[in-house]
Formats: sequence, structure tokens, C-alpha cells
Amino acid sequence: MSKAKNPAGGKDNFTRNLVIAVVVGVVLIMLVPTLLSKQTDTSAAIPASVSAEDGYGIVFNKELTDVPFIEIYEDLQCPACARFEGIAGNYIEELITTKKAKVAFHTLSFLGGESQIAANAAACSADEGKFLQLHKTLFTNQPSENSGAWTSSYFSTLGLGLGISSPEYDKCVSGNKYMGWVKNVADEGATRNINSTPTIFINGKEIDRETAYSSLAGFMLAIEKA
Amino acid sequence: MKNKHLALQPWIGLIARLILGGVLFVAGYLKIDKPDISQMAVRSYEMLPISVANILGLVLPPVEIALGALLILGALTRVVAALGGFTMFIFIIAIAQAWARGLNIDCGCFGGGGSVAAEDTRYLQEILRDLGLVFLAAYLVRYPLTKFSIDKKPRDLKEISEAKGDVE
Repeated sequence: MSKAKNPAGGKDNFTRNLVIAVVVGVVLIMLVPTLLSKQTDTSAAIPASVSAEDGYGIVFNKELTDVPFIEIYEDLQCPACARFEGIAGNYIEELITTKKAKVAFHTLSFLGGESQIAANAAACSADEGKFLQLHKTLFTNQPSENSGAWTSSYFSTLGLGLGISSPEYDKCVSGNKYMGWVKNVADEGATRNINSTPTIFINGKEIDRETAYSSLAGFMLAIEKA
Repeated sequence: MKNKHLALQPWIGLIARLILGGVLFVAGYLKIDKPDISQMAVRSYEMLPISVANILGLVLPPVEIALGALLILGALTRVVAALGGFTMFIFIIAIAQAWARGLNIDCGCFGGGGSVAAEDTRYLQEILRDLGLVFLAAYLVRYPLTKFSIDKKPRDLKEISEAKGDVE
């Protein structure tokens, strides 16, 4: 780049270089913590029903081996996930209670703030044995995205409504006990190449986008074939 | 005609700077607080290994903000415009290959991204928009002296031609 000598004053490059330094500096300050926070934190507290081998999912019927393994990647704030829960939720719960499937729930947080609060609360409820109830309640009463409805006090109250009386749950919700785990779930979803929610795998294979997400019959058929 | 362009050129350059810089800045700003979505958007192009795509998804938004801010201010215009144009050129290739391979994705240019229904893809509009931006970048690389920039500039237009042969 050619540079003009500017003997008669005018602007010199000091201001410009200062601006460049400031902009680049600010960008690095934004970038470095983000990159660091994306490292999987193996020391993060995890709920009892979670195992790192199953991608940090909340697992039901962990001990069963000769049944289909259903892995559900969802965001508690995502409307399509609520639709899927409405279609297949009861059936999946039935598979869990009748021990006909091993099921792992991965609560992703693509949609940000309130997805993380909700995922943390869901993990807290898993420790109280109320995950499925909380899960269903959240999807059937899903507010619009990040509207401010999902706060830790909301989840404390919801816990009471679901019959959770232990002070541990309240502490877990208000203290964001499982926030490190929430990030680990998200990172695991990223390495698993989850590019939309809900995404459902049966025995490691994604079910058919065209048929198995939109109707119960299609979903049952996908399980049948597994 | 030529003289007319010479007189208008710094103003055209200013507009080009503000449009290209504004688009880059806004695009980065809308993605910066949603790293999970940004990573997903890059992954869904299916061009890069997943681990590389996940890193690029984190790096891209702040880089866009930086290029955008520097262009708006007019700092190091020629270099930054070249980088911005190069970025847009890569985006065009990425979108075109997704289109050609029949992927159904949102470009994720201004947040969003990932898989969408086939009828919701906007490949042609996205490519045309990015082509326009590449053109603006090319103009700035050719004519980097613009109004209201903080780059050091020759005092009048006569010095531009003198400056051409002047290597410091």
C-alpha cells in the first residue's frame, strides 16, 4: 500500500493505529472467555442419573441393554420440541415405565438464558425423581422464548406444585448447581453434530425427518424397526 | 465523466464502507451472545470437520464485529475491505455448495442457522446479497480513500497520484 508523506500536518497514523489496537483488543477480550467456557468441565456437578458415557444425558432404564436406546436432544424453550412432546411424550414415558426402552434426555440450550435456567432446574428435579413430570409441565406451559417467565423462583414454585418438598431442590435451582453440566450437555451436542431441535436417535441412528417427528404412528414405527 | 467519478469517489467509498461495515458489524453482533447457535450454523454447511466448525462458529462473530467496526471508522480501509470481501467470497462458496448438494439450511448470516424446511431456504437471495457486498469490497480495495475515515490521507487529490510512486 502506498503511503503519502504528509509534511503539512493533517492526520497521522497514531489515531488509526490506536483505534485498530482498541478494536482488536476488545475482540480478544470477548473471544478468549468464550473459547475457554467451551471446554468440557469434567469436574462440574452432575445429577445422579447422568453419565458422561451417555453424553451427559439424563438417563432412564440405564441398566437395560436389550431394548432400543432412545436419545432425545431438545431445548426446553423450543416450540418444535414442545410439539414433539405433545405427539410422542406419553408414549415415551410409557416405554420408560414399562422398561421397554432406555431413554436419554439431552437438554440443550441453543436459545440461551432461560433454556439454561430450565435445563439446570430439570437436572435438579431429576435428583428428586420428578424429571419427567417437570419436563412435561414445561412443554405444556411453554412461554414465548426468553420472555422472562422462567426464573429460579418460578422453578422453586413449580417444584412445590410437583410435590418436591426438599430444600436441596430449592438450593439447587437458585444456586445454579448444574450450570456446568448444562454447558457440558451443549458441548456434547455440538460434537455430536446436532443441528436442530428436537433431534432423536434410536440406537445411534437419527429417525426420519419426514415421518417420525410429526406423527405418533411414524415414531412408533421407527421404534418398532429398531 | 472520469472527473465526475473522481469527485464523487470518496463519497461512494464512504457509502460502500458504511454498508459493508454495517452489514458485517450487525451480523457479528446478532450472533455474539448465541455461541451454540453460531456453532450449529457453521456445522450445518457440512464443509468442515465438526471440531473445526465448532471453533469457527465461536471465532466468526467477533471477527465480523471487528472488521465491521474498522470499516465504519475507516481504519486501514483497503486491508479490512479486502478481508471483508474475502469473507463474503467464502460465504458465497459455502452457500453455493450447500445449495448444489441439496442441503436444507438457513445461512445463519444474521443469527439463526441450522436445518430448515426445504421451502424455507433462501440460497439465491443470500448469494446475490453477498455478491453485492463483494463488489463494494472490491471498490474499496481499488479506491481506499474515502470521506470521514481515520486513515491518513493525502491533502488533496493531486497528491494521490504523487503518492502512487512514493514508497516509504
